[in-house]
Amino acid sequence: MEHRSSVDIYTEWDIVAARQLGRNEAKKSGFGTVDQARITTAISELARNIYLYAEEGKIEITNVIEDGLIGIRIIATDSGPGIPDVRRVMEDGFSTSGGLGAGIPGVKRLMDEFKIETELGVGTLVTAIKWLR
Amino acid sequence: MPQEVGKKYKELLRQYIDRQNEKDLYFGQQFIRKFIEKNIPPEDVISIHKTALMESVPDMPDSLNHSFDFLIEMMIHYGLALREHQSLIRKQEELQMEMNVALKVQDTLLKTEVPSVEGLDIGLVTESAKQMSGDYVYFLCDGNDKIGVAVADVMGKGIPAALCMTMVKFGLDSLQNDNTSPQNALAAVNRIVEKSVDDSMFISMFYGKYNMQDFSFSYSSAGHEPALLYKSSENIFKELGAKGLLLGVLPDFKYEERTVQLEKGDFLVIMTDGVTEARTETDFIDEAYIQDLLEKAKGECAQTIAEKIYEELASIQNYRLHDDFTIVVLKRD
Amino acid sequence: MNLQVQLVEEENSVQHFKIIGEIDVYTAPKLKEHLAAVEKAVGMQAELDLSEVAYMDSTGLGVFVGFYKAVHATGGHVKITGLNARLQRLFNITGLGSIMDIVTEEGEDKDATV
Repeated sequence: MEHRSSVDIYTEWDIVAARQLGRNEAKKSGFGTVDQARITTAISELARNIYLYAEEGKIEITNVIEDGLIGIRIIATDSGPGIPDVRRVMEDGFSTSGGLGAGIPGVKRLMDEFKIETELGVGTLVTAIKWLR
Repeated sequence: MPQEVGKKYKELLRQYIDRQNEKDLYFGQQFIRKFIEKNIPPEDVISIHKTALMESVPDMPDSLNHSFDFLIEMMIHYGLALREHQSLIRKQEELQMEMNVALKVQDTLLKTEVPSVEGLDIGLVTESAKQMSGDYVYFLCDGNDKIGVAVADVMGKGIPAALCMTMVKFGLDSLQNDNTSPQNALAAVNRIVEKSVDDSMFISMFYGKYNMQDFSFSYSSAGHEPALLYKSSENIFKELGAKGLLLGVLPDFKYEERTVQLEKGDFLVIMTDGVTEARTETDFIDEAYIQDLLEKAKGECAQTIAEKIYEELASIQNYRLHDDFTIVVLKRD
Repeated sequence: MNLQVQLVEEENSVQHFKIIGEIDVYTAPKLKEHLAAVEKAVGMQAELDLSEVAYMDSTGLGVFVGFYKAVHATGGHVKITGLNARLQRLFNITGLGSIMDIVTEEGEDKDATV
């Protein structure tokens, strides 16, 4: 059974709401404390990027079951300016990533699967999955 | 995380809680080394600690329990920062390897061989302050009776300077026939450099051509340090300067060309500012000082003269060069 | 090593800068930043007072070359004053003295303006 819920991101408080939603869903799916924290941190980073660079967007959390594996999928969408050079934002040490250790490379490290699609002037779509082990 | 690791940690923690022995701390240290080797992130370590504590202290208050969850959240960022740091270190190692390859390429590409010609004794010393040099010496043998020598100094050091130098080398390589006259050579290289370099980048270059038939030396300078000519008959030094702008500043610039005669025993010294601008801890050296050194060495062969100047100037700077150092000595036999 | 750049006065379209300190590989970026902020102004008349600059290396010279090129491209003018003997020699040797407007302190050097 797929369960889907989402939070619109307009203000900084919406980041907190998205975190809460992610944590609740992760807990329900049976993730331990540390993985809950990882999923929440990833959501936090993605929501913060929407808030800072796109002004509005959405965080969607879905439970996934695939080949007998249970997981949680985060989808972050925005209709912001898009990312001109994706390779650069994926690089460690990229200056506008918002501080050491976080940003897009951080999200990729925290999750098991990661995909980013972006188009200038259209927006950005990030999909990330964490599997329960 | 593997259960065994948690069990072992719990054991160590319990022992320490019981007796607070230094030995247990030492064991703990050995144990955590393995965590680091296996790239176990800090948030997992705290989680292991929390689990071990809960199992060892059954009546642990909830507040303490929650405090660990709080710490796990915080440590996730530390863990990410650590992994980013490790990845940047790997990247730096890769860059260093590429740099070493680039150095080898530069060495091969920009290798200067001192030609051996009848009637002219040539000496050369060139030492770089950093891994890659910004100084370049180029010899052009034109037929049997003329030899061209270019001494260039690219502003800045390291990779950008080395890349720029390659451009100068190919510019000089492309010169033929009439173009090898000093003023034409500089004008040609200037056009190439002006088109290709950044606004605040420039090159100074001294270009001279010695005619072994009539012993004349004609030269032009693109904003370079004047060369020195030692006149044996008068026992004096003359500065060989010619009006000319640095390469790369204006696209069309006409360089002045001058000519001097070399008598028996006369010699010419072409330097970069690493020689003339050498500074000791407290002071700059001056031209008179260099002339004194040259005067003392005037009886030696060209290579020995160049080496003596280098030895002296390097030693007063405690062998730590501030700038790339190049000196070329041309002595009429 | 310290370097100060002061915009002393701005009258009509003349920007008058006073630079204090040594201009070398460490301080040149700061000077470049200050000058880059004004070099795009069309037809700018810049006057740079270097009377309190004791030392300048080739990196420093690079900043002046870049500044000259930028200002020159928009039809502006660069005037440099207060060079000590050492700096005067540097500007002369490099040929920059003949393309920039160099004014020497009165009584210090007979070949005043180049």
